[in-house]
Amino acid sequence: MRQSRILVVLVGLSLAGCVTSRLEDAREKVTGLAEGQSVVVMTKSYHTGNETEGDYLTCIEKALGSGSKGINVIPHQQFVDELFPWFEPRTAPADTKGLPVLMGRPGVADAVKGMGVRYVVWLDGDTERVAEGGSLSCAAGPGGGGCFGFAWWQNDADYEAAVWDMEGYESAGTVSADVSGTSFLPALVVPIPLIARTQTRACKGLAQQLRAFIVQ
Amino acid sequence: MIDRLRFASLAGLAAILMAGCSSTVTMQMPTIPEPRIEKIPVDVAVRLPAEFENFVHVEEVLGKETWTIELGRSNAAFFTQLFGYMFDSVVMLGPDDDPRDYQFDALIEPVIEGFEFSTPSQSQSDAFAVWIRYRMSIFDSVGNRASSWTVNAYGKAQKEELGGGDSLKRAAILAMRDAAALIIMQMEKVTNIRQLADGPLAPAPDTTDVMQAGVEQESEEPASVIGIFAIGGIDDAAE
Repeated sequence: MRQSRILVVLVGLSLAGCVTSRLEDAREKVTGLAEGQSVVVMTKSYHTGNETEGDYLTCIEKALGSGSKGINVIPHQQFVDELFPWFEPRTAPADTKGLPVLMGRPGVADAVKGMGVRYVVWLDGDTERVAEGGSLSCAAGPGGGGCFGFAWWQNDADYEAAVWDMEGYESAGTVSADVSGTSFLPALVVPIPLIARTQTRACKGLAQQLRAFIVQ
Repeated sequence: MIDRLRFASLAGLAAILMAGCSSTVTMQMPTIPEPRIEKIPVDVAVRLPAEFENFVHVEEVLGKETWTIELGRSNAAFFTQLFGYMFDSVVMLGPDDDPRDYQFDALIEPVIEGFEFSTPSQSQSDAFAVWIRYRMSIFDSVGNRASSWTVNAYGKAQKEELGGGDSLKRAAILAMRDAAALIIMQMEKVTNIRQLADGPLAPAPDTTDVMQAGVEQESEEPASVIGIFAIGGIDDAAE
């Protein structure tokens, strides 16, 4: 019984691809989050060529807000709608220099204060397939079917989060995650996928680092 | 009888196969949030063209599928909301209404000059993109053309489900929000519409019904007035 459990664990571990990750932060000022204060996570505009995936943003929001050390996260769409049209992809400020003017617009500072937003986190980057190889072929006939071969691919998830302090209208620093994962798909009649969850790892890593960066 | 059945089943199969090569997306009524702006103190009339009541765009991706996007009344709803938020008072006119029967400082006539979209298979990406080009013609209270302005809006949404119809809808809504943001930010500066609250630019023109000819006048404008359809571009011409 014990041996079979160990076997299941070993098989489970072997079914994951190989992932390497690097997380870094660069602090520009002291941070902290008081009670009742919140964070908003946004993606940089696609007008500037940014390709950050919507599901990555959702993942970061959930990861920041979950667990015993979770922090208050305002859903990005609620924030964007409350401040329409000043945080649309076309109109959102590109850097903190534009914040004082933006906050001077009618009702903007009050809305930000009303939601308790202390930090706005801007995500930049994406997950890309950078290499792939091998070959796999499958065939089926009246007597059955099967696959034979070996395929592999490598995904790189490279993300950066810029943290803006909405009290001082200045940058608090950046946190970055660079994760590389290689997935394998060997097949001897039955294909066995060994998938590297590169984007998920980049999400969890970046969220953890961000939370530590903000809360200290 | 058997022949008929055979023909019917073949016709049914052909219809199913043909349906598999086309997608139809119907837009829901878009809503834009109330913008955080100060209203422009101008009484405007907005005349919506007939196409705003039922706009349909069909695009055939060469050698692949045909996409039909039915915007329906969404443009009419969009501009009604937007101008309601932007101006002190707004009167909505139908395509057959005569503006001379109404009191206003400025008449705005939006039209769709272009609608395009790209699918992931076209752009070799995982996103749908929508471009909408509106032209806003603005007249004073007696029918003199005050301004003509092209608004190029862009929306992009990642394909998140099989087929991609919902993603295309999201991209279209984002393009309309982009247009709203642009109009809110730039309209006053580009068109000088605020000054029309002080009265007409000139006495009423001699030619009859200049306002009715608003759209037709576009072709008579110098080439520089016609906007280049580029992502995020703004083209304006105050006359």
